[in-house]
Amino acid sequence: MGETRLRLLGKAFEVITRLHGAICMDGVGKSEVRDLILFGETICSELPPGAKADADYRLDNHVVVAGAIDLHTHIGGGKVNIARLLLPDLVNHRRSALEREGQELNWMSPLSSPVPGTWETGRRYLEMGYTACFEPAILPANARHAHAEMADTPWLDTGGYLLLGNDRLLLEWIRDGVPQSQVNDYVGWMVRAHQCCAVKVVNAGGIDAFKFNQRHLSVDDAHVHFGVTPRQILNTLSQAVDSLGFAHPLHVHCSNLGMAGNIAATMATIDAVEGRRLHLTHAQYHCYGTDGPHGYSSAANQLADRVNSDPSLSIDIGQVQFGQTVTLSGDTMHQFANRNLARPRKAIFQDLECQAGCGVLPFRYRQDQYVHGLLWTIGMELFLRVEDPLRVFLTTDHPNGGPFTSYPHLIRLLMDFDYRMTIFSRLHPDVLKSSPLPSLKREYSLEEIVKMTRLGPARALGLKNRGALQDGCLADVVIYERIANPEQMFSSPKMVFRRGTLVYRDGVFLSNSMKSTVVADLRVESQMDEWMKRIWRDQYGYSTEMIRVHTDELLSDSRSVEYT
Amino acid sequence: MICSICSLLCDSDNLDEIQCIKRSAALARLDSIRGAVEGPLDTNVNSAARLKATNERLVESASLLKSAKRILITGRIASVATARSAVAFAKSHNATIDCAESGHVFKNILAIQRGGIYSVSLAEAREHTDLFLVIGNDSMQVAIPRMPLALSNGKPRSQTVLLLGDFGTAAAEQWHKAGFDTWTVPCDLENVPNALAKWFQWSEGMPRDGVDESSGVGPLFARLRQAMYTTVVWSAESLQMEQADLWVERLLQWVAGRNEKNRCAALPWLSLDGTFQQVCTWLTGFPGRIDFRNGVPDYDPHKYSYQQWMERTPDANCNESVIVLIDETLAPGDFLKPLEIQAAEGYSVIKLTARSEHFPTAVAGVETIDDMFRADQTVLARVLPSCERRSWVRPASDYLERLSK
Repeated sequence: MGETRLRLLGKAFEVITRLHGAICMDGVGKSEVRDLILFGETICSELPPGAKADADYRLDNHVVVAGAIDLHTHIGGGKVNIARLLLPDLVNHRRSALEREGQELNWMSPLSSPVPGTWETGRRYLEMGYTACFEPAILPANARHAHAEMADTPWLDTGGYLLLGNDRLLLEWIRDGVPQSQVNDYVGWMVRAHQCCAVKVVNAGGIDAFKFNQRHLSVDDAHVHFGVTPRQILNTLSQAVDSLGFAHPLHVHCSNLGMAGNIAATMATIDAVEGRRLHLTHAQYHCYGTDGPHGYSSAANQLADRVNSDPSLSIDIGQVQFGQTVTLSGDTMHQFANRNLARPRKAIFQDLECQAGCGVLPFRYRQDQYVHGLLWTIGMELFLRVEDPLRVFLTTDHPNGGPFTSYPHLIRLLMDFDYRMTIFSRLHPDVLKSSPLPSLKREYSLEEIVKMTRLGPARALGLKNRGALQDGCLADVVIYERIANPEQMFSSPKMVFRRGTLVYRDGVFLSNSMKSTVVADLRVESQMDEWMKRIWRDQYGYSTEMIRVHTDELLSDSRSVEYT
Repeated sequence: MICSICSLLCDSDNLDEIQCIKRSAALARLDSIRGAVEGPLDTNVNSAARLKATNERLVESASLLKSAKRILITGRIASVATARSAVAFAKSHNATIDCAESGHVFKNILAIQRGGIYSVSLAEAREHTDLFLVIGNDSMQVAIPRMPLALSNGKPRSQTVLLLGDFGTAAAEQWHKAGFDTWTVPCDLENVPNALAKWFQWSEGMPRDGVDESSGVGPLFARLRQAMYTTVVWSAESLQMEQADLWVERLLQWVAGRNEKNRCAALPWLSLDGTFQQVCTWLTGFPGRIDFRNGVPDYDPHKYSYQQWMERTPDANCNESVIVLIDETLAPGDFLKPLEIQAAEGYSVIKLTARSEHFPTAVAGVETIDDMFRADQTVLARVLPSCERRSWVRPASDYLERLSK
C-alpha cells in the first residue's frame, strides 16, 4: 500500500481522508451528498485507483464547506497593539475568572477583550471554521511588526493590504505630475518590499492633511499643503493596481467616514476610478443621508443599486454589533472628530512616518441610541439589497463594528427574517419609524452564506485554490452539523481540517498546522531597488533595508508563502 | 548599518558615529569572551567541553524550575525572538513576567492607559515638526547621545528646539551642532506641564502677569505662537520624580488640549524594553507585569512588577523561588550598565546573560540577527550582527526553549 501511494503521489506519507454522507456545498458545484477526499494537502473528488483512505468519516446530516476567509479584520500591526495597550480595563474579568476556575468556555463565551492577543484570536477564528484572515491596513513602516504578529496567530493563513495614498512621497509625485508608470513602479516595489497582497487607501490624502491641521477633506477638496485631491489619489492608485495586475482591486476606505450625508463622497469615490475595479470597505459607515428626524438617515439603497448595476464593484459591510468594542483606524482625521464619543473616555492618535497615522477609540454601540441603531439597520440593508453574494462580504471590520465572534449571530440575522425583526424591534423608536428594513423580506440561503464567506472572498483576493471543494483546492475544510439554528451551527463546527490535517474536533484543538502568508505575485524591476534606496534615504532618512521584509522572514518549518 | 544599543535604531549616512557605538559593543563582547576564556570554567577553551557543561547545567536548572513554587522571568529583553520565548516560557511555567527596568516604560504606560496619547513617530517628527520641546536633563544626552542627529538626519534644520528642564551647555551644543535653532530654558522639571500651558497661553495673548518682559521672553513666545506642529520629547528614564506617571499624564493632557486648535504630539522615548512590551502585548493582550499562575495572563501593573515580586516573595528556600534573569545586551563603558538584581538570600537565580558563566547569552543585534523595535515603537527593524557568535554562546531564546523541554 505504501508503495502504491508513493507511486500515485510522487511522495510518501500523504494522509488520505474520506468524508462521506455529508452535503458538499461550495457555490461552484451542485450542493449534494457526495464523498470528498482529502488527499494530503489538497482536495480530490474521488479516491485514486488502488488508494485507501487512512481515515474515513461518516457524516450524515452534516454540511462540508471550505474554510471561511475574512478579508477585512484587524488582527495585526501597530494600531491593534496600541488598542490592546490602551484597554486593559476592557478585559472581561468574568471570562478570565471562568478560565481560572478551569471552566470550559464555549461558543457563547465572549472574547476576553475587544482586541484579544494573538493566541486567542487564532483559536476563536478556527472554532468558527475560519482558516484565513487578512489584515487590511498595514503601514509600510510597520509591516514587519504586522507580519510578526500574524505569524503568532495560530491556525490562520494571513495576508495584508499595504496602506498607501497618504504617503508623502506619493502625494508629492501626484502634485508634480510624475508619469503613471513611475507611480506603478513605486506601488509594485512597495507591496513586494512589505510582503503584502493588495493596496488599501484610507481617506485618501486625509490622514496627511490632518497632520497639516486640515480637519475636513472630501473627494474634490484640495489637500491644504500639497494641493492634490482625493479624486486624483484614488484615480492614480486604481490605475496602478490594475496595471500591475493585482488580484484584489483597490481596497478603499472612503472619505467622510461616519458623517451624515457621506453617500455623496462614496459615489464620488466610485466615479473617481473611472470604471476600474474597486472594493469599498466597511461600506456601512459610508452610506448615510441627511434625512430623518435627526438629520442622519440611510442611503443604503443608493449604494446597493450602484453595486448591483456595476460588476466591477464589491463591498464588505462592517456590520455594527451592540456592545462594547474599540474602533481603530488609519483615519486619524475622523477618529479625532469622534474623540468625545470615546467610552471609556480615552484615545490614542498617532502621526506616523510620513506615511499615514492611526486613531484608537473605545466605543460602545447601544441599541437604544438612534444613530447606533440606524447603523445596524444600514448594514442589514446593504446585506439584503446587494443581490450577488459573491460581491458582498460578511465583516464587522473587527473590532470596529464589533468582534468577529459575532459572525454566527450575524449569519442568523441574515437567514432568519423573524429573528432579524426581533432584534430590530428593540431599536430606538425613530429608527423603527424610518427604516425600510421590515420591507426587506429576503432570507439568505445556506448556499448564499457559504458563497459570501468562502468563495466570494477567495475570488476577490485571487486565491484560486481556496473557497471551494473542487479538485486541487487546498484541503482546508470545515464540517458543520446541519441544525435549525444557524447561529449555533456556525459557532461550533464538528471538525476543521487544515491542509488535510484534522486540527479541531468537537471543541477540542488537536494540533497546530502549517501557516502561510499570502503575498502578491508581482514582478518588480530590479533597478527599482537602488532607486528606492536613494529616494527612501532622502525622504525618510533611513535605508530601505531597515524596513524591507525579506521572503525568508516569512518562512520556517511551519510557515510558507503563497502567491496570489 | 543599524545600532542596537540605545533603541534608536537610527540609520544614517554618518556611519563613523554609528559604527563607533556598534563597534564598541562588539569589542566589549570580545573582551567578555576573553574574560570567560580565562575564567574557571574551561581553561582550555574547549567549545565541546563548554557545551557539555552548559547542557548539564540546563538539566539541573530545568529540574530546579520543575520543583519551584514561584518563578519570575525578568531582565533586559531586547529582541522579538527572546520576548516570544520568554512569554511562552512564563506561560508554560505559570510564572510572573516583568522586565527589570520596566519601571521607566510603565511611567508612560500607566499614563496612557488612563487617558490615551497623541503621539508621533521619529521620521514624521523629523520632517513635519517646527518646534521640538525636549524635556529632561543631561542624563538624556548620556542615554541617547544620538537623539539630536536622529532628529536632524544630518541636515541643517530650521526647526526650533527648546531644551526644558536641567540641561547643561554641552547638551545645547549637541543640538545646535545637529543643525537646530536651540534654546535652553532652565526650569523645574516637575512643573513643566503647567509651565507649558502657561507659556503657550501667554504667547497667544493672555496677560503676562508677573513676567519680566526685559528678560528676553518675547522672541521665545513668538516661537511658541508660530508653531504649527509641536513635538514634545522626553525619556522616561530621566524622570526621577515621585509618581512620574502622573507627571506624564498631565503632559499628555496638555498635548491633547493643544490639538483642539493646532497640531501637537508626544514622542516618548522608550528603552530597549519597548520590544518586549510590544511582543508581550500582542501575545497576551498586556504589556508585561503579568502572572500566569492561574493558567491565563493576569495583568496587574503594580502587583506583578519586578520590584513588588522581589519584595513580596517570602525568604523561602531556594527550591521554591526561582528567578530567571535574562540580559541580552552588552555595551561599552557606562552606556548600558550590566543588569544586576538584588535577590534576597536563598533565592535561586538562573542567569542567561552575556556575561553568564553557565549560560553565556548572545548579544542581541551584535552577535545575532534580531528584530528590534525602534524607540518610538513604530519601526520593527531587522538588526544585523557585527561580530561572529561563538558556538558556545547561544541566543537567550534557545536556552529558554531548552529549559522548557
